[in-house]
Amino acid sequence: MTPNSAAPSAPSRRSFLASTAVATAVVAGGVPLLSACGGSQEGRKEGTTSGKDAKKILPTFVASNVVAPDIPAKNGSAAGFTKAIPTAELKTSVPKKLGSGGGLKVMAPFWGTPPKGDNPYYAAMNEAVGVEVTWQNQDGVTYDQKLGAVLASTDIPDVVVVPGWNLMGKIPSAVNAKFADLGPYISGDKVKAYPNLAAVPSEAWQRGIFGGRLRAVPMPASYVTDIAPMYRRDLFDKKGYTVPTSPEEFLSWAKEATDAKSKIWACDDMKWSAFNFYGVFPGSDKALWWNMVDGKLVNRVETDEYLEALEWTRKLYAARVVHPDAVSGKAGGNARNRFTAGQSLVFNDNISAWWGSVSEQATQKSDFDMAAFDIFGADGGDPTLWAVQPANIFTFVSKKATEQQIKDFLALCNYCAAPYGTKEFMLTAYGVEGTDYDMKKGMPVKSTTGVNEVNGAYDYTGNPAPYVAYPDFPEVTRGIVEWQQRMGAFTEKTSFFGLTVTEPNRWANLADNFEQLEDDVVRGRKKISDVQQAVSDWKSKGGDDLRDWYKKLLDDTGSAN
Amino acid sequence: MSHSTVPRPRAEAKTSGTAPVVSDDTTGPPRKDDRRTGGLSLRLRFRRDRALLLMTLPAVLLILVFNYIPILGNVVAFQDYDPYLSDNGFVAIFQSPWVGVEQFERIFADSDFWHAVQNTFVLFFLQLVLFFPVPILLALLINSIVRPRVRAVAQAVMYLPHFFSWVLVVTVFMQIFGGAGVIAQTLRQHGVDGFDLMTNPETFKYLVTVEMIWKDAGWGIIVFLAALSSVSHDLYEAAAMDGAGRWRRMWHITLPALRPVIALLLVLRVGDALTVGFEQLLLQRQAVGVEASDVLDTYVWWNGIRNQDFSYAAAAGLIKGVVGLALVLTANKVAHLMGEQGVYKK
Repeated sequence: MTPNSAAPSAPSRRSFLASTAVATAVVAGGVPLLSACGGSQEGRKEGTTSGKDAKKILPTFVASNVVAPDIPAKNGSAAGFTKAIPTAELKTSVPKKLGSGGGLKVMAPFWGTPPKGDNPYYAAMNEAVGVEVTWQNQDGVTYDQKLGAVLASTDIPDVVVVPGWNLMGKIPSAVNAKFADLGPYISGDKVKAYPNLAAVPSEAWQRGIFGGRLRAVPMPASYVTDIAPMYRRDLFDKKGYTVPTSPEEFLSWAKEATDAKSKIWACDDMKWSAFNFYGVFPGSDKALWWNMVDGKLVNRVETDEYLEALEWTRKLYAARVVHPDAVSGKAGGNARNRFTAGQSLVFNDNISAWWGSVSEQATQKSDFDMAAFDIFGADGGDPTLWAVQPANIFTFVSKKATEQQIKDFLALCNYCAAPYGTKEFMLTAYGVEGTDYDMKKGMPVKSTTGVNEVNGAYDYTGNPAPYVAYPDFPEVTRGIVEWQQRMGAFTEKTSFFGLTVTEPNRWANLADNFEQLEDDVVRGRKKISDVQQAVSDWKSKGGDDLRDWYKKLLDDTGSAN
Repeated sequence: MSHSTVPRPRAEAKTSGTAPVVSDDTTGPPRKDDRRTGGLSLRLRFRRDRALLLMTLPAVLLILVFNYIPILGNVVAFQDYDPYLSDNGFVAIFQSPWVGVEQFERIFADSDFWHAVQNTFVLFFLQLVLFFPVPILLALLINSIVRPRVRAVAQAVMYLPHFFSWVLVVTVFMQIFGGAGVIAQTLRQHGVDGFDLMTNPETFKYLVTVEMIWKDAGWGIIVFLAALSSVSHDLYEAAAMDGAGRWRRMWHITLPALRPVIALLLVLRVGDALTVGFEQLLLQRQAVGVEASDVLDTYVWWNGIRNQDFSYAAAAGLIKGVVGLALVLTANKVAHLMGEQGVYKK
């Protein structure tokens, strides 16, 4: 129930972890855009948009204060809601049905088994919004493969969801070529016709600018790193372990805690956390790979921190404290299953998946307990963390859609973006009362039908400002938000934070093989010197040119910070 | 076309070869190629075979639409193709800039490509030596089972793994041979650490071949069993009467009976040499790294399709196609030299 996360379920998270580094990111906007492109729909093909140019097209922000969060957002964290709201006290944020009754075909990734199209939840949603949505759900893990083919065809669905980590290769140019400009409908004060969308933070909207146009309705997310080292608090307590506070300590603890004979390993693949321990620039979005250091743009792969993080992770593998199935990567199965089974004690996960693991285990193991431990710095002190993008899943509407269809799309997004404490939120997040959930002791509890039906579909078509709301596990809500706030205090922003940058096609695949190389190095199949070689190849094959290109972009447009 | 099995008039003109050409009243004066065509004009032959031609039409259309027309798409291998230049991906082909052989130069300069080529051939030869004979042996084994019920059960057990997905097969192998698998844990209990067959790049090629044998060897016996069932029992009886033992009968009757089928499958296998597995290898890519696991197909997928570099993918695919064609022609020729039919004959 945290639609603001990139990862509604375990498989999606895995694919997210697997793909982020390669995933190119591409994002925002560009240079003297508007003036340069007159009335053309195409806008700019490369670059980004920020500052004054962005302001001209961004929707006006009008905060929504339906329910005050128990834990207000701070340091870039989400807002936390720990209490359930009684049905009678729910507010109404969409007083008038905005949809025209028309139809929309929506292609979206789905992790798990999609429910039947005519189920009560979808029917109720469509009725409430006033739009007949037909879902074309595709497997989230292989979504990137479908996306390329669909976008290259002449017949694309009315609405298409594109996760940021799928913006690889030529997909960004497809986005600019195939999707409509939403500016004429929601730029500036026009967004006030859709109050819930007006309450979406501007930094999320900024990410929705593709090729100089506001094309996407973004899914807002906390900019604090989403990868957390999760540990089995119950097993730590039982064995009397204390949480490690430095990479050195982690390694020595891991050697002590690993008991392979009993099928217990200290950790799973820790690479993504290692990048955080050592303060490596974020790997999720390609523009974030770059940062201005002493007057020069530096890429994450060129930094010592990058090599140090890989070397430390390599030591873990070499010490055989990593679960052997993790060595196999994808073929080895699901890291979360190894963790919940107690075969590994620490693993990287998306912080928002915390609730999923706890609620799943609550019915099976009563003493199951887990938590995220604080990211430590390379020397054991405070870490240096870098912000991830404040939105990384985008929903577009086809250029061929009629004006009415675009309005229906926005009506749908406005409905789904209703904040916590509203009737619209309850329907979107829990489904139909009596069918999908029941109120038990003042707490909404999903039925089996609800678990199957209310699962992912309307998560991408509009979302409120980042929030965490698990009234059934208030301590998880608190754990997530407070962790984000503590980590947020150490979080800085790289030069292209908040921008959606479209790289020129000729360099779009330049860094594609680094993730594979990282995996080889940490598993001991390749050496750190191979990475250094790859970096020097990367430079000569276009990395240095790309640096100049980014530098010029920064000079021309300025950063979003 | 000369070996048509359809009865037709004046077939003797063709088979005799030297028979004088007799002009047909309806076709006018004899033509030069009359001997080869049985003395009939194209129009007449068309009229005679039209029912047959009509019946092949749907298949021909399918092949045309799905096999031949797409060949034209290979033109993007010589372009820098961007499908999004136009609303229509086909129209975009005409708008994409020509780059000549630049894509091929990029491929040949990529060390990963050469790793993929090497892995492809290594896997092919391993499969040829280790995998190919297994179904033959299994077929002989099954054929020697007399009781029908035992035979049916044995066959069913051998066929079954063919229907498992690769994910399942790899998982089963993981559970047995992986670092946390049954064997590794048993060894650990006895003080031997570090057994893990699933993540060893050196032995990966054998692992892949064994997985393949486990999954598909049983399925492969079908063709051989069919060939064996056509061998007359009289031959065996006669040989037995003459005092031939089990081995002699197999050597002199069974194996010669299988020879044409073996040759045919061998030629087909060689033609398919560059296709050595896809999903299986993609699944285990992270476990052993790119250098050990990448073959041509996965290379094309990873670098071309996944990264949307269609021109690059098309160029790599074209190389694979050309090499594959050369291989099948060579293999067919070799089969002819050995006196076998092969896949086709002129």
